[in-house]
Amino acid sequence: MAKAFRASAGIMLAPAVTLIGVFVLVPMLLTVWLSFQDWSTQTPFSEANFVGLGNFQEIFGATSVGRDFKAALFNTAIYTALSVILILPLSVVLGLMVYQRDVAGGTALRTVLFSTYMVPMIAVALVWSKLYSPSEGPFNQLLGLIGISPQPWLSSPRSALVSIVLLNVWQQVGYFTVLAIAGLTQIPGSLYEAATLDGANRREQFRFITLPLLRRTLLFSAVIAIINAVQVFEPVALITQGGPVGSTNVLTYHIRRVGIERAQGGLGSAMAVMLMLSLIVCVSALFAFVNRKDSE
Amino acid sequence: MSTARSLSRKRPSGRKALLATAMLLVAVASAFPLAWMVLSSLKTPAETMQVPPVWIPHTPSFEAYEKVAGVINVGRSMWNSLVIASVTTAGILVTSMMAGYAFAKYSFPGRSLLFSVLIATMFLPPIVTLIPLYRMVGSMGLSASLAGIIVPNLANAFGIFLMRQFIAGVPDELIDAARMDGASELLILYKIVAPSVAPAIAALALFAFVYHWNSYLWPLTVLQGNADAYPIVISLSRLLSYNRGAVNTGLVMAGATLAVLPPLILFVFLQRFFVDSIVGSAIKG
Repeated sequence: MAKAFRASAGIMLAPAVTLIGVFVLVPMLLTVWLSFQDWSTQTPFSEANFVGLGNFQEIFGATSVGRDFKAALFNTAIYTALSVILILPLSVVLGLMVYQRDVAGGTALRTVLFSTYMVPMIAVALVWSKLYSPSEGPFNQLLGLIGISPQPWLSSPRSALVSIVLLNVWQQVGYFTVLAIAGLTQIPGSLYEAATLDGANRREQFRFITLPLLRRTLLFSAVIAIINAVQVFEPVALITQGGPVGSTNVLTYHIRRVGIERAQGGLGSAMAVMLMLSLIVCVSALFAFVNRKDSE
Repeated sequence: MSTARSLSRKRPSGRKALLATAMLLVAVASAFPLAWMVLSSLKTPAETMQVPPVWIPHTPSFEAYEKVAGVINVGRSMWNSLVIASVTTAGILVTSMMAGYAFAKYSFPGRSLLFSVLIATMFLPPIVTLIPLYRMVGSMGLSASLAGIIVPNLANAFGIFLMRQFIAGVPDELIDAARMDGASELLILYKIVAPSVAPAIAALALFAFVYHWNSYLWPLTVLQGNADAYPIVISLSRLLSYNRGAVNTGLVMAGATLAVLPPLILFVFLQRFFVDSIVGSAIKG
């Protein structure tokens, strides 16, 4: 019987394992291999020439290749940090708004918030590029109503990256709100009851019950938010093309430009490997931080 | 939860008013960009250029939609999107159910290692594999075609993970009884397991469909300018460059509205499944 199941397991797993193996794991290993090669994306893999750490020296070097990559890495780090810093607290606040029962309409609010997550990023980028329009765009018009001078939004190197963060937060926050609600439903009501009997007010209950018990949920949210943030592509590709003055040149856009459009497959792969390593370091650090908090 | 509710009923009403106002503001902020998109798509070109902006079009017109049809092949693009999203989704359902069943109900050597390796790919940003994948798909003769977009996405880790979580909850007795009757494993999966996890299958189907309807980076890379195979999200980018600098706001908004409608309509009717599966993926792990 056990042997028969082993054969069935093989049959059941074959399609998924083959597909993921061929189209995810093999390309991932190829990326690592190509990062040590001089290779043009327009030639077969067999044309690659081993160059050791040459590509890595170049992308961290003083030439324009190095400058552009380091700037893209920096932009991506800023973009990711800002996204996480905005999304996590917002998701908790909005989650509490949906979850509370003092005022009706929580579920309707959840629907509205989550609906933006269904909108293709390309449409989000198009619509927001018009919302941000300095002269006839509604954002500056609304700011004018409360006496704030018009902002340059996407057209200034100082504000372009932040403007893209904002449209990304708008699109994704509903998803993270649903995650936060899932976390909130896991907290036993008896804890709040006991805290109230002990005389804890709402703020203390949030600080000492809600927040610590949401830690696991927030860790999961942070990991997903980071992975999503490094994937930002459409608004940059469509609207800013990395500008103005390289201020929105982020890694996904930059790696594609180098590795596909300029066909510098080796260099692009080295950049992709650095992105992967940075992600592993960030996520491991997050886990270590939360685990240390847990043991306190 | 019920106690938290009953305790909070004693709160003063000023707090409630504040909360209700905050909720309303959040809802308006969240809905505003899409509302503005639809309204702008109905404006006349002159209205879209006006300063201060016109909020509600005086005489709503479908002129912009007609113009969109003149710039891009809307029917063809929508059809391409539909083919990409539905074929990919069908593939994901089959591969995820089979693998999810194996991981949930069989024990075999290396099970947890294999599962960990597959799940790890869930956290891999697509850009990391884009360059070699582009070359591989090209050497398979699939570049610039719908097949090139679809084939690499026919299985994914999220689907396997979700199916394993839900299939693990199907009672072993049900499966054993069918085995006694001599049913094959594939038949059991189809006749016994699938109906028991129907809501999860619906959730996965919707998720996959919307994700691949919206997907941009991979189709853009594979298609290399073959406009016949463009899904609607890629055709949209042509609207922005058309007539650049001049009056194209209405055009862009009309195109965006067309692309947004299918996933949004699916969501409105089936949002319960979306939310359930997100919650399932977050807290069942």
